Amino acid sequence: MLGQRMGVKAKRTHASRQAPWRLQVRWTGKTMLLAIVFLVVSGVYLAVNARLAKAGRDVLSLEEHRSDMLRLTSELSAELATRTAPETMMARAASLGFHAAQPDDVLFLTVDGYMPPADFIAPRPPAAPDEGQAMLSPAYTETLGEWLMRWIGSPGEPS
Amino acid sequence: MNPDGVTRRRIRFVLFLMAGAVTALVVQLVRVQFGPYAPVFAARAEYGASRVEKVVPARGQIYDRNGNLLASNGTMFYLEIEVRQLTELSQKDIPLTLSKLLLLPLEDLYAQVTTDWAALGQYRIRLTRKDANGNPWPISVDKTVAEVINGFLADPLAPDLSGLDLVPAPKRIYPAGTIAGHVLGFVNQEGQGFYGVEGYYDEWLSGKPITIHRQFIPLEARLQPDPPAGVNLVLTIDLAIQQMVETALKEAIESSLAESGQVIVMDPRNGEILAMAAWPVLDPNHYEPWLPDTTEEEEGNPVITPGVAGTFEPGSTFKVMTMAAALDLDRVKPETEFIDTGQIEVGGHIIRNWDGRSWGQQTMVGCLQHSLNVCLAWIAADKLGATDLYAYLSRFGVGRLTGVDLAGEVSGKLRTPRDPDWTEPDMGTNSFGQGVSVTPMQLLTAVSAIANYGDMVQPHIVRQVVGPQGAYWPQPAVLSRPITRQTAETLTTMLAQSLEGETRYAVVPGYRLAGKTGTAQIATEKGYDPKWTVASFVGWGPLPEPRFLVLVRIDKPATAPWGSVIAAPVFQEIVERLVVMMGLPPDTSLAQAAAGG
Repeated sequence: MLGQRMGVKAKRTHASRQAPWRLQVRWTGKTMLLAIVFLVVSGVYLAVNARLAKAGRDVLSLEEHRSDMLRLTSELSAELATRTAPETMMARAASLGFHAAQPDDVLFLTVDGYMPPADFIAPRPPAAPDEGQAMLSPAYTETLGEWLMRWIGSPGEPS
Repeated sequence: MNPDGVTRRRIRFVLFLMAGAVTALVVQLVRVQFGPYAPVFAARAEYGASRVEKVVPARGQIYDRNGNLLASNGTMFYLEIEVRQLTELSQKDIPLTLSKLLLLPLEDLYAQVTTDWAALGQYRIRLTRKDANGNPWPISVDKTVAEVINGFLADPLAPDLSGLDLVPAPKRIYPAGTIAGHVLGFVNQEGQGFYGVEGYYDEWLSGKPITIHRQFIPLEARLQPDPPAGVNLVLTIDLAIQQMVETALKEAIESSLAESGQVIVMDPRNGEILAMAAWPVLDPNHYEPWLPDTTEEEEGNPVITPGVAGTFEPGSTFKVMTMAAALDLDRVKPETEFIDTGQIEVGGHIIRNWDGRSWGQQTMVGCLQHSLNVCLAWIAADKLGATDLYAYLSRFGVGRLTGVDLAGEVSGKLRTPRDPDWTEPDMGTNSFGQGVSVTPMQLLTAVSAIANYGDMVQPHIVRQVVGPQGAYWPQPAVLSRPITRQTAETLTTMLAQSLEGETRYAVVPGYRLAGKTGTAQIATEKGYDPKWTVASFVGWGPLPEPRFLVLVRIDKPATAPWGSVIAAPVFQEIVERLVVMMGLPPDTSLAQAAAGG
């Protein structure tokens, strides 16, 4: 057995001496393979990071947009309230020929089944998103190692 | 030397160089990471790569009971100068343009822009304007002005405003203007609430600011948490009633040439404040003149929150409490007779009627109808005694805070036999509302026990609190039951009878009302003011199931001193509108409805 192995090694050494380019080709091939793997991994990293950066920029932009919208909504509500303020409405009513009703102007009737309007309930203030809503896809947060571990743990899951 | 040997040496040399370079890199890496200057390098790396931000949530909104917006949020812009971006031309153009645009003194602006701030180590300044007292206030402009300035900044042919920057900041907006200004209070530029609802609920309305760490290099794709938002509040105030009451008060002040006044309208069944007006008005959109100093903040401000901080001697409106105590203890009945001789001595002090006359034989209804000081002092001294009188006044909450949810409430003052400065004559004068001070809210709350069948409900201004988790409705709390239901009904009937005889100015056809006028002298450091009075009226209705309780207070009327002449007509005017706005049919309508007509 040992003699057989030594024989193979001797043949290779002999072949290399006969044709040294074989060794260079082999090393070049290995190096190229490593380089390609490195480039592929780098490319994946670059693509993921580019998506991450774009998503981050989108998040920032959407956050700003949401703040602007909330501020605008608030300003428009205030503007609407200003335009319908009692003093304004009273002045408008007076200009249209109305006057405030006195008891003599009013006829009270009993209406069967009348339901008074329901009490006003104020809108809820914006709530902070809960953990479930705030969580991003793992694609934006996990490392390659974590991704591999997840893939190994459940092969069908990553996409 | 064969070629292979040369090549090998060269390769070794290159490898040695590379190993040296790698070693140097590793050493430097270790030094940067763990060496003595590691924190410096870490700070440099952090600078520009991330930022710590304080996120302030939007302040909660305030609505009236029908959903009308009373307080909201908008944006204002501060004018700031980036000193290093100023040019020779912009140093002249900025003051000139702003002076014309905002009608501000040119010299002041010019001085601010041309000061050598860099020498003082300041590279960014906020422009200010001076108020009437010479105090500097940051200049803030609204959206419209900001758009004009931004237009100038973008236009190369416009004045050179290089270095001028508009910095947005949140601003509190009160769409109804001065209406309910005293109820709402205001919020300063730093977002702190003062007085009224804004002051009392400041912590709830403002939410909780949080600090977040925002990473830019590398940019994180992470939703930043929102700070816990401030709650929205729904008040018990009805904006339409508030506006009507304010108009009535303003007209009364103007027609009587009075100095100031207040009106509060309450639902006695549950303590809800439907309207609370005060004159002079407060505009929360322009609050600067009202900003408190430290002392005022602690003690309340009688000008800004007169309903809960403006104490006064109530005068004859206080008589209802003395009478309530005597009726409740069964010491007098409505038909109990009293011979009024025009004066009575209590503790060596002579007490006379408001007109100095003697009114002869009177029932208790007559005592209230003619507002006889002598009769009430007799009840206090001969029928009740100090112990019972002050026990009842205490049950009515006189001299104590009502606990109304408005900032700056004060307790008023009532001397009792336990106080070292109390004297026996105090019992006589206190019985008809002299020598005791109350706030309008306190007096109204005390009288609400009579209007609400003996239950004194805590007055409150907030009807609903709405947070991210849902709505919460505060439940009215009964402060005390100073008198029985029977006493309350008896006294209400007496006051309805006496009111119909006392003043025609407080009567509203079709509605049965109960009430009492008050004319109080104003206590000064040198005794009672000989000229001025506080005219007041407290009344409720419609009987027998009161839905509103109204207190009117007019300070220093010039046309007449009497509550029956000055304050009662205001009550009448308010009630005439109130019954329509609240949909309360007159007695005749009720009778027709009951008969199926």
